[in-house]
Order: sequence, then structure tokens, then C-alpha cells
Amino acid sequence: MDKTQLLDKQTTLTAAAQLVRPGDTLALGGMTLYRRPVAFVRELIRRGTGDLTLLAFTAGYESDLLVGAGLVRQVRTCYFGLEIFGLAPMYSQRAERGEIEIVEETEASIAFGLRATLAGVGFMPGQGWIGTDLLRIRPDVKLVADPYSGRRYVAFPAIKPDVAVIHAPLASRVGDAVLHGNLAVDCQLAMAADTVIITAERVVEKLDEPLDIIGLAVDAVVEVPHGAAPTSCWPDYPLDGAEILRYVEACASGEFDAYLDDFLTSVGPRARPTMFAVKNHEPTGNRLHN
Amino acid sequence: MSQPATDYTIDELICVCIARQIEDGELVVQGIATPLVLAGYMLARLTHAPHIAFASAIGQTFCRDWGPLSIAHVEALWLGKALGRFDFAQAVCELLPTYQPKEFFRPAQMDARGNTGNIVFGDYHKPRLRLPGCGGIADVTVYEEHVCFYVPRHSRVTFVEQVDLVSGLGVGAGPPEHPAPGPTYLISDLGQFDFAPGRMHLTSVHPGVTVERIQAKTGFRLEIAPDLQETPPPTAEEVRLLREVIDPLGIRDLERLSGARRRAKLHEIIEREQDARTVNIKRQ
Repeated sequence: MDKTQLLDKQTTLTAAAQLVRPGDTLALGGMTLYRRPVAFVRELIRRGTGDLTLLAFTAGYESDLLVGAGLVRQVRTCYFGLEIFGLAPMYSQRAERGEIEIVEETEASIAFGLRATLAGVGFMPGQGWIGTDLLRIRPDVKLVADPYSGRRYVAFPAIKPDVAVIHAPLASRVGDAVLHGNLAVDCQLAMAADTVIITAERVVEKLDEPLDIIGLAVDAVVEVPHGAAPTSCWPDYPLDGAEILRYVEACASGEFDAYLDDFLTSVGPRARPTMFAVKNHEPTGNRLHN
Repeated sequence: MSQPATDYTIDELICVCIARQIEDGELVVQGIATPLVLAGYMLARLTHAPHIAFASAIGQTFCRDWGPLSIAHVEALWLGKALGRFDFAQAVCELLPTYQPKEFFRPAQMDARGNTGNIVFGDYHKPRLRLPGCGGIADVTVYEEHVCFYVPRHSRVTFVEQVDLVSGLGVGAGPPEHPAPGPTYLISDLGQFDFAPGRMHLTSVHPGVTVERIQAKTGFRLEIAPDLQETPPPTAEEVRLLREVIDPLGIRDLERLSGARRRAKLHEIIEREQDARTVNIKRQ
């Protein structure tokens, strides 16, 4: 059998979305309004894969759509919001109505939790939390004594996603990916998750620059030009602030459902004047895996 | 020395006060959605502190260069001008505990000792208002000695007798064997404060503001410095730098606005940024 065929993980958005099962812990890569897997979220909402635990270092527009669509049972993040655009409207609404389970996280609980999984241990000790109310609202999190000094630390429990979805500017068919910064915890998510899906602006035969994610960890690669829009994908395109604002205004006037319908039926990015030079590149074309 | 400005906004005064807190050569960190802080850092960089290094939550890089504030193109600064890059796990587990950089946080609620809440208003399980979350404030306030706060709208909504859910430690909070250092400085739209006596302590009032007004807008008893000063106004040159060089789009104004007024201002800024960009592309 041709080895390159075995290693070719390129597939379609539809096939990749089938890797997420109801009830999974789904980790979404990127940072606030930057490099979020928006096209993948669109596909997931179309499929209606629900009962999800959403894990995101920071959660933004893409996560608010998933919550608004009713597919998220539980949220784990240290920040869920739209930066200078304000609160994440659907998340805030569901949280205030008590309609969503929240496992409160901080930067340290996610970072140390992922590092624990990668190190193959059940927890990582860290400074932080002691004296705050975090331990009260996270009764599952315990303290540990330093066996050398006796000082108490928080034992941040290991975190392991079922599926991680990360959008990249560039990836190869075997799943190597270049992220160009604003990494958040994407590299850790790709190593910790059971299943890893990369969506990329471009999929090429072979990368000629240093990779951030090694294809070893990756199960599926999908070429989706503009797959992060309206969030940014540096350096290919910036944040589409007008679209984020359109979302916030729709929600403020109680029109989330109409916005969602529009979002689901829009195939790609909506036509608006670009503020940047889109790189001229030849798409490799999507191919079914089997 | 530049003349004092006769015409300045409260946002500009806050930026200038933040800039004055920066020492040349130090490492400063910018959190999420804090344009007043970034404008202050850039002002310091362009005036008395040309050797500072920036690290930002957005991008996770070190930068020594500066750039104008932006909504759509923040990565042009943090990624485009980066000298070195890290990821957020490194930042949290290694860089922050080791370097303890200066950072300005914006508390949603705060008590007299500087304990803060950025998770909810009201009961955790049935909140009046669910906020985005505390990011890393619950992590770093345990040990960090250079925590500063800024509050763009000084009111009893923020300054409360008791914080609903504490997600950041004030002076002396935490276990007795390792008490938290607590914040060192706070700037609001009414005055400047430190925490020298272990409680929020008014050290200067902004021009035109009375102590009585500040106390009336604070939900606990304020300590007042015996040598209370008036905050020196920005210089004409500082205001020019903010308006013409650092933030010509007026992004710094957004933090004091909320709801429909903030959205209207955002529309204006986004349109102006697109227009400016179009002009730049045509010039190239």
C-alpha cells in the first residue's frame, strides 16, 4: 500500500464533523476573536451534535454561537466574552437563567491541567486560587502539600479533551500545521486530545517552514479558506469587526435565531470589502478520505 | 517641558496616569480588551520609558516596538512586530511566576482591601450578571507584587463593602503563612489611590473632583492621605501623542461607554479604520 496515501488525512468538513460525538468534550483552538474554527462550528451546528462540554482557553464568537444553538451542556473556560465588543450575549443569558453548567476555570487551571495530561500525571501543583472563592465553586479541586517544604498548593486536575479543533493558516496533508502565533494553548490541546481536527486556509503537500503542530497527533485535515472568518487568521485576514458588531446587535434586539439561520445558510465569508491583501494561492481542493 | 494641556478628556488623563506608573526598562503586560492600558503603555514608550518590553495576552509575544491602537489589526503589532513568541501555557506556568511583570487589571467589583470579583454579580449559581470570567487574576494575585488596577467609571457598583465572589486577592488575603501582597495602585476617573495602609487610600483627586464626591461613589470608607494632592493634568504634548499618534481612532474612549453608546462608537471606529486602511493600500 502506498504509504503517502495512509498518511494523507485530508478530508471534508462534513466527514471531519462526524468525528465529534454527542456528549464529547470539544476543545476549540484560537484566542478570543482570533483564529477560531468558525467554519467547523457552522458544520457542527448544521449537524446538531449536542450535549457537548465546550473547553476553550478563552471562548468567543464561535463558542457563543454553539451555546446559543443549544448544543453545549457544560462550559470550561477562563474567559467567555467578545473583548471590546462586550459580553458574549448568549452565554451570559444562559448562565443567568441557570441553563448551562459552568466549570469555572482560570488561566492556570487550564494550563496546568493540560500539562498534567501531557506529563501523564493526574495533576500539576500551582500557586493560585488559595484564598479566593474559586475553591468553593470548584469543590472537585483539592490542595496538595509540597513534600519538601510543606507549603500547600492547588492540585490542578488533568484535563483531557475528546476532540480538539484548531484552525491554521497553513497545514500539510499529513496534518503538520503552522499557526503563526497567538497560540493560546493550541499546541497542548493538539497533543492532549484523543482526536484532532485541523482546518486550514491552505493545505499543501509539504511545509517549508517550522511547524507548531506535528501531524502525528492529527486525525483529519480540511482545507477551508476563510475558515476562521469573521475572526482573524493572521496574516491572511484581520478581524471583521463589523460582523462581530452585527452579531452583538442582533442578540441585543433578541434576534439570535435569525442571525443563526443566516450564519448557517451562508456558505463562506459574506461579501464585504476586504481591508487586506488576500494571499494569492492555489487551493489544493478537498478530497474525501476514503 | 511641555505646557499643561488645557483641553483633555478623562480617558486621556487615565492613560497619562497609567503611563506615569511605568518605569523605563521594565516588562509590562496587557490583558484582554484594555485599550486605556495599552494607550498608557505606548505613551510611556514614546516619552520617558523608551526601553520597556511589552507582553500581551493577545498574541503572546514580547515586543519592544510600538504601534497605534487598532480593533481589526491588533495582531499587526503583537505578531507583526514580535521579537519572540511563547504560548499561554508557558506564560502562565513559567513567565508570569518568574518575571512578575506589571499589569493593570480592571476589577468588576472590589472591596476596601483590593479583593476583586470578575466572575459574577450576585449568587454564583443564579447571577444577576454573568461576567466573562477572571482570566488569570485568581492565579497571579496570590503572589504578584506589581498588580495595578484601573476603574474607568468610579461607582458603588464596583467599589463594594463585600465582593460577591472573590476571584482576586487583596492585601493580606490568603493563608496567613503566605499572605497576598495585594494591589499597589489604582486609577479611576475620579482620583488616584494606593493601598499603603492596607486599604484603598486616596492619594490624589483629579482636577475639579472633590473628596466628598469620591467618598459618595465608594461603597466603603476611604482612607485619605494627609498630604492629598491634585492629579497633575496631562501635558499638551501627551495629549497630542494620544490623539494624533497612539490612538487617532479614539479606541481608548470605548471603555467608559456601555450598551448602545459603545456599539455606536464601535461602528464609527470600524468604519474609520476601514477607510484609513483603504487609503493606505491605495498609497502603496
